[in-house]
Amino acid sequence: MAIAEAKVDMEALNKAIDEVFYSQLDSTLLYYFQACVNCKACEAACPFTPTSLHYSPVNKAEVARQLYRYRFTVWGRTVGRVIGGSKKYLSLEEAETMVDYAWHCVNCGSCAFVCPMAIDSGAMIDLLKQVAFKAGMGPKVYRDIAELEASGKYLEIDFFKNSWNSLISKIKDAIGKEVPLDKKGSEVLFYASIYEALAYPDVLVKVAKILDMLNKDWTFMSKPLGIRPPIGLVIGDKDGAVKVMQRVYSYFTDISPKYVMLTAGGFEYPALRYTMHETLKVEPKYEVVHVTELLAKWYENKEFEIEPLDEIITWHDPCQLGKRGGVFEAPRILMKALSKKFKELPSHGVNSFCCSGGGGGCGLPSMVNNMAKALGIAISDDDKKFLDKTSEPLIKAGKIKVGEINKIKAKEVLTGCPVCIESINFQIDYYHANSKVNHIVDILADRIKVSKK
Amino acid sequence: MQLPFGDYLVGNSLYPLALDLFTPTIFFFFFSASYRVFRYFAVYKKPFIPYATSVTRETSSTEKVKKLVDTFANSSKVGMKRKPVTTAVGLLMHLSLIVIIFLLAQHMIFWAYYISPYKILFPLAIPESSVDGELAFTLATSPYTPTSYPFVHDIWGPLTIILNGQYITYILVILLGIYLGHKFHALAEGLTLRSGDWWFFLLLYIDIILGFLATSHIPDSVAYYDNLLGAHILVAEILIATLPFTRGFHMFEFYLGKIREWYFMTYRRGEK
Repeated sequence: MAIAEAKVDMEALNKAIDEVFYSQLDSTLLYYFQACVNCKACEAACPFTPTSLHYSPVNKAEVARQLYRYRFTVWGRTVGRVIGGSKKYLSLEEAETMVDYAWHCVNCGSCAFVCPMAIDSGAMIDLLKQVAFKAGMGPKVYRDIAELEASGKYLEIDFFKNSWNSLISKIKDAIGKEVPLDKKGSEVLFYASIYEALAYPDVLVKVAKILDMLNKDWTFMSKPLGIRPPIGLVIGDKDGAVKVMQRVYSYFTDISPKYVMLTAGGFEYPALRYTMHETLKVEPKYEVVHVTELLAKWYENKEFEIEPLDEIITWHDPCQLGKRGGVFEAPRILMKALSKKFKELPSHGVNSFCCSGGGGGCGLPSMVNNMAKALGIAISDDDKKFLDKTSEPLIKAGKIKVGEINKIKAKEVLTGCPVCIESINFQIDYYHANSKVNHIVDILADRIKVSKK
Repeated sequence: MQLPFGDYLVGNSLYPLALDLFTPTIFFFFFSASYRVFRYFAVYKKPFIPYATSVTRETSSTEKVKKLVDTFANSSKVGMKRKPVTTAVGLLMHLSLIVIIFLLAQHMIFWAYYISPYKILFPLAIPESSVDGELAFTLATSPYTPTSYPFVHDIWGPLTIILNGQYITYILVILLGIYLGHKFHALAEGLTLRSGDWWFFLLLYIDIILGFLATSHIPDSVAYYDNLLGAHILVAEILIATLPFTRGFHMFEFYLGKIREWYFMTYRRGEK
């Protein structure tokens, strides 16, 4: 991303570097910083490496390591400075590279599993993202969206209000009765964000239909808790994210369900399941789960049966749900019930090849463009360049992803994350493949037969 | 101290100096390693664990153990699929290096001198050249003089025709040469390279060549032999002493990282 000199406040950048690096060192990060042997094994798993070797995890994280070495090692302060191994601050050109690198990482965690030292390069690149945000160098369109969410002003936007209300009335039509809203003490709090309401309203309606069919004690939110909360986490706005998490936690605690059920397996899953409680240092009385976890549990309890399909289907593990969240088995229980011809993708589980959307990208360029348009947020030339550039990894990584789908001849690719659906659909269209990508609930809802007890 | 060996006074070389420096090297290593480990404790923050248990996730103990093996094997599995050449070179290089450092008969005697229980591994000793293996294979030759220790090809037998210090060193020189090429490629591409990469790598390369020259008596003179062997040990000592400050420390942290990954992802099932 080109950043004009006049637009970069170098003083703010230096301050941000100091603040981020001096405030966050712990033994885990220290290990990530000093244990890397530069073997570049991480290149094999990163969805951005096919775009350029410069975007390999080790190369991107090296900027963070250079800043770390100056601050935390004797060598970094002495010899390291002379031989370019450490840096106190960044030049304008280095800062531009840092921003470019930070936005070419979706924090999918693939590098951590393939690294012989189990180093999570994404955690170091996330520090760079925080620096960029604090210094006002992140893409403006994302900063505007994050600000809207953190301030709570998103609730005043007609476009969002209408989308949400329209979703509630669609659910009402589908279940043929009033939607239970904000009902305290329900077994299941059916959670969704505005982003999902815009990305796949039909999936949300089908989830509600399943809950109703199974006669569950459930409730839905009368108002969304954010655009895609806590969106600040993925764009480097840690303070904003904390504010949003407090709001979300307070609502969850107020409703006090047994389960908070998400249909999104993107960053929301680990963020709301783990990060929120770790950050606020609270032990929840409820459990945050993905819809597949609850459905698999109910299916195993024989609460319903699944009428199988007669076609080859496969499961794409969303990185945040799988690698970050540890959910691998539950979707597979459902997938195996859905078709005897269920096949694993060549790369699956912890080695699932990331779609390269989401995470830092927070959505495809088209989705961001549409949302910005609806919100009246102007897309600057720099932002336009940024968004255009995010298509390149989708195309390059897509070649691998679509190749894998074609290899097993899957008719249906099912998954559990709105961004994965959009990204892989983009890739399938680009390479003219003959598959479809859907949320698992999309297919499952029509094939569930409630068991008579 | 100088000991007479024909006309040559043993001791007038790098060899005794290298031996004298071995114990201080080990002390320096432990001191530096302690510093590196201490830093982890100094910045340790007890993790906050939101979920003590989970109602939706369970996994059997057998599955957990199986996944421990998977955790360690995963890098190689994925590497072989997506970067077959560099992964194969890396695996073979590590294997060769481990075999030569810990099982070459001469090295084993050195280790056993300092760590007596190491003797238990003597039956696994490999010879320094292929000649031993060849003789065992073609003439079934046994040691001329009875020895209380196992003969170098007791276990390996004719396999020592290829499994010996000489051939493994050739392989190592070639594999490390490929690594060197890889580094120059990274340099040309403007990718991450660190001084520590060169330091550890070049010392290793030099050390292997010095060891090979000494063992092969090139040049063929006792004086050169002593100096080459001394230089070989000295370079190894520099490697060991600086290990905690270089990538060489991965031989310990590799286990720390992978066990940590297994603990959080498999044992705790992500319930951190």
